[in-house]
This record gives sequence, structure tokens and C-alpha cells, in this order.
Amino acid sequence: MSILIDEKTRVVVQGITGRIGAIQTMHMLKAGTKITAGVTPGRGGSRVEDVPVYDSVEEAMGEQEINTSVLFVPAAVAEESCVEAVDAGLKLLILITEHIPTHDTMRIRAYARSQGARLIGPTTPGVITPGKCKIGIMPTHLFTPGPVGIISRSGTMSYEMAGLLSGEGIGQTTMVGMGGDPVVGTGLVELLELFQKDPATRVVVVHGEIGGTQEEKAAVFIKQKMNKPVIVYMTGKVALEGSRMGHAGAVFTGKRGAMENKIKAFREAGVPIADSPGEIATLVRKALEA
Amino acid sequence: MILYEYEAKRLFREQGISIPQGEVAKSPSGAAEIAQKMGKPVVIKAQILALPGVEAGDARTAGSPEEAGRVAEGRLGKSYNRQRVSELLVEEGLPVQKEIHVAIRVDGTAGAPLVMASLERLSELDEEAKASPKVASVHSDPFHGLKSHEARKMAKSLGFTGDAAVKLGDQIHRIYKVYARWSALMAGFNPLVMTPEGNFSAAGAFLEMDDSALFRFPQFRELSLSRILDPLAREGKSIGVTYVGLEGDIGVICTGAGIGMATVDLISKRSRPANFLETGGGITEKQLAEVMRLVLKKPGLKGVFLNMYGGINPIHEGAKGVVKVVREDRVNIPVVAKAIGNFQEETWKVLEEGGVTVIKTIPTDQAVEELFKRLGK
Repeated sequence: MSILIDEKTRVVVQGITGRIGAIQTMHMLKAGTKITAGVTPGRGGSRVEDVPVYDSVEEAMGEQEINTSVLFVPAAVAEESCVEAVDAGLKLLILITEHIPTHDTMRIRAYARSQGARLIGPTTPGVITPGKCKIGIMPTHLFTPGPVGIISRSGTMSYEMAGLLSGEGIGQTTMVGMGGDPVVGTGLVELLELFQKDPATRVVVVHGEIGGTQEEKAAVFIKQKMNKPVIVYMTGKVALEGSRMGHAGAVFTGKRGAMENKIKAFREAGVPIADSPGEIATLVRKALEA
Repeated sequence: MILYEYEAKRLFREQGISIPQGEVAKSPSGAAEIAQKMGKPVVIKAQILALPGVEAGDARTAGSPEEAGRVAEGRLGKSYNRQRVSELLVEEGLPVQKEIHVAIRVDGTAGAPLVMASLERLSELDEEAKASPKVASVHSDPFHGLKSHEARKMAKSLGFTGDAAVKLGDQIHRIYKVYARWSALMAGFNPLVMTPEGNFSAAGAFLEMDDSALFRFPQFRELSLSRILDPLAREGKSIGVTYVGLEGDIGVICTGAGIGMATVDLISKRSRPANFLETGGGITEKQLAEVMRLVLKKPGLKGVFLNMYGGINPIHEGAKGVVKVVREDRVNIPVVAKAIGNFQEETWKVLEEGGVTVIKTIPTDQAVEELFKRLGK
């Protein structure tokens, strides 16, 4: 089992003819992902990696089986591209694009929700269910099938966590890149809920960072509702007040977004906090053996 | 990008919000002249880039031009939040009947703007502020924005009635329009003043632009680079990476924000990183060479540590830029690189041939230990 994506997932790549879209389509196909179509307005009729390209999501859906969109579109057109996918009836959108204006993201999120669609991202590495489906930009070989769910605010940290678990022989059900922006389509608590319901997931690992209050809310959820162990690893302990640490959402000003609040919330909820990436594997193993 | 208060006030005025009469002074005599011209008591505020909650120096009142000059002298050249004060906002002092604090912030969990108003200073923590019985708050609709009836309701729940409630609601509605018009991350009054005559004026104002939205506002995009105060951070921005200056002597280069934060956290356990640097996606040989030269600019570096993941990034291309600088600039401090992901074998080969110590295992803690060993720590 897994969450969000599996062997039944059929993908359209919006922005498939772009530099990154084309390369990542190649990597996803190599990983076994079933990409049935690509979309770039004005490029209908062409092919990328032998995947047929259409002018619109609607046209692609008329001819191909599709249930998920991954978007590699420029930030300036992310909102209209997401709206197009939702209007075509898709219920899962994975928005890889970085540097989207926050006001645009709030509208994309609200629109998707109003139509019963789920948005993952933006600024996400994507989602991978190892061995079954990879949608995004992560290096495939670091991920292996197994019992651990991963939720990460960062692409590179998700690779590190999966890679070190895989190295220890501990595989993953699904890894979801939550995204590093101040507003994301699907938040930490919602993703924990999905892993909670997935029988194959026995332990969940969460990478959190400074900024926002998702970790604080998750701590309360874990304490009150979660029936499987959650391990967290936090980054951003060494940060300069007011400076965004690479992610638009990773910033603190005074108490706002500060690390102390998050650590305190997790401690109060009794959630084990790994002190280093290396310690994540130790804590996960302990939780799996418990 | 945070705006100076006087810049924020210009945007507020364009939206029909009344602001106190005032001017910017850069010298004590300038401040005295402005006070003289106004012919009434003035309020003097140091202008630094800061949001509420950050120490920025209190507003000071001056009853005469001479006093304005003295206050200005005491303020100019002082430092707050790592910034030297070079400008002062000199404004007419307003008679105050009531002060209303308003803030509009992005609520990440709700995915919507959170509008809050209170007769007291608002907590920087949304949860704490919202929970207070003295705060009126509402999440606005991301499509329709704050509606005028919602703004009036906020005014009424703060105890305003009749005409005053309509006027205050109008001010809250207008500041929301500023926030939406400029795709801001944060905007507010700290505070909005109601005078005994029942007029409202934005005595204090703040606004933070969203860096990701600046492509829509060329006038601010130009400005944003000059607003980065650390020259190395500014250079980083101009080559498309995030550089944050820290106080140590180990240079850090990472290909992602999460791994970058983890790396500086781990180095800090036993030593001190000189900087945080993350490239984001889309690195090239040329960019990594520029990044190496940028990090090496900090005097007194003892070593450089690279933590690279090949996901969206062609790290084998980046590696060529790294070794080019090691060779051409005769770098004589240890350069240690962990590189994992797509094209890792090619990357290792390039780095090793270029004299860089390569770490091929995943946990960053182990890689940092290797770095310490190389540095004799």
C-alpha cells in the first residue's frame, strides 16, 4: 500500500517541453512511472520521450487515461495551469515549480479544494511510492519499498532521509515532499492523516524546519490522534533572524516561526526528535522493533 | 522584501488611507528644518527594514525644531537589527483618542490571509493573537479578499459604533486592498490613530513584499537587490543563490535548502559555519564556479564543505565548476564534498581528479565528521 500514488497512477506532465520538464519526464519514465501525456499550449502533436504532447489538459484527457498532473510550468503561469488541470477534472496535482507568488498559491489551493482536488506543493520534489510510481525530481535509486512514510518540507532532506533509511535496509511506503513555501496545498496534519490510514505504513518520519506553525499543529495531532510512531528531524537551528534560509517559508522573526516553539510542541507531545540525520535511522529502527 | 515605513506609507496613501504629514531627514539640521516648516510638535522614527516585533528604536516626540535636531542627532548612526540608521521619518504628532493595531499576515495552515485588529499591540504569534478576546480576526477569501462588511464587523467588535465603525471598517478594508494590490506577505498599521475629531490616520505602517511576486512589480524588483545589506548575500542573489552570512570559518555550499540548514546545524555542534548557501535547482558549471568564488571571499576560511544532491540538479556539471576554481585560484584550504544522486559516479570522478575530498556515504553527520578530521578538529 501507499498514499496518493501507486501503480494505477496515470500522469500528464504540464510543461513537458521545457528544459526541466523534458529531462524529468525521462527520469520518471525510467523509474517506471506511467506518463500517458504531456501538455504545452501550442506544441500539440509533438512528442517528448515518445510521450504524446497536447495543447491542453482537456484534449489530453480526451485521448489518454490520466488521473494525476505534475507541473513543471513557469511560476508566472502556475495558477492558470493548475486551474486548467482542475477544470479538466483532475483530482491530484503535484506542483514542482518554485518561486510562485504566495497570493497565487493561496488561490490555487482554494480553487483546488473547492473542486475536490488535492494539491501537493508548490516547491516540492514531488511524491514517490518506491517501485511503483515516481512523480517529481528525486533521485530514484535512494528510495526503496518498505514500511516507512516520509513527509518533508525539503527535497534534499527527503533524499537524505530516504537514502539513509534505504542504506540501513529500511524501505518506504511513500515519500511526500510537502513543499518549502509559506502556503502549501496539503499540509503536515493532512499528510499525517493519510499515512495514519495506510495500513502498510508503520512509522512516519517528518522533516520540519523554521517558519510557520505546521509543526506545532502536527504535534497536537500526533498526540491526540496518531496511532503509529512519528519521528521528526528539524532543520534551521542555526539561522539569521529575518533571513529566508533558501525556502520562502523558512524564516523566523522574534517568536514568530521560531524553532523553540516547534521543539517545545514536539517534546510536549512526546514525539522523538532526531538530533542528526544519522540518528533518524536509529529512531526509526527502534520504533519498528517496538 | 521589507519596505521602509515611509515607502509603505506611500503605497497606503495611493489607496486613499490618510497618513500624517511628514518627510524623511538624513541629518539633524534636516530634521530641524522639517519641524520648523511644520510648525508643530513632531514624531521622529528611525527608518530600518524591520517588521513589528523587531527592536527598531522607539518613536520620539520633539516639541521644537531644536529638540527635533537633538533627537535626530541621537538617533542617526545608531544600529538596530544589524542596520545603521541613516534616515529618519519626521512626522506631525497627532492627538490620540484611540490607537488601533491592524495586521494582515499569511496563515500557512489555513492557506488564507489572516486579518487581525486590536486596541492593543498584536502578538507576533498568530495563534496567540487570534485567541485573545481583545483581538478581532477573520480569514479572508483568497479570491474575493476581505469584504467591507467583514471589515465593519471587526470595527464593531472592537467597540466602535455608528460613523466611527464605518470609518474604521473603511480603513481596514483599504489596507487589505494595499495588501492584495502588492501581493504582500504582511501589511498593517502599528498603529492607526483615531483623533479626538474622529479622523483616522496611519501613524505607523509596515509592509513586506513577497520576493516571489516581484517579477510583477519591476520598480521594486530593481530595488530588492540593493536592499540586501550583506554584500556577499547581495552577490549571491545576483547569481541566483541564497547566501546567509554567519560568523564562523567553514564555508558551506549546498544544493538545497533543507540539506543546507541541516549542514550548518551539524557543523555548529563542534565548529562554526561561515555561511549558509543553497543553490536551488538548475545549477551549471559556471554557477558553481561563481558560488565557490563567492564563498571563498570571506576572510579567514579554514575549509569548504559541499553537500550536493543530484535530483533536479546536474551535480556532475556543478563539480566541474568547483574543481576549476580549486585549480585556477590555487585554493589551499581543505575542500570536502559529499555528492549523492543522479550522475554521482561522474561527479565523484571529476571532484577526486580535481583534488577535492569526496564523501560517498549519505548521512551528513558522517560527512561533517570527515570534514572535522581533515581540519584537525
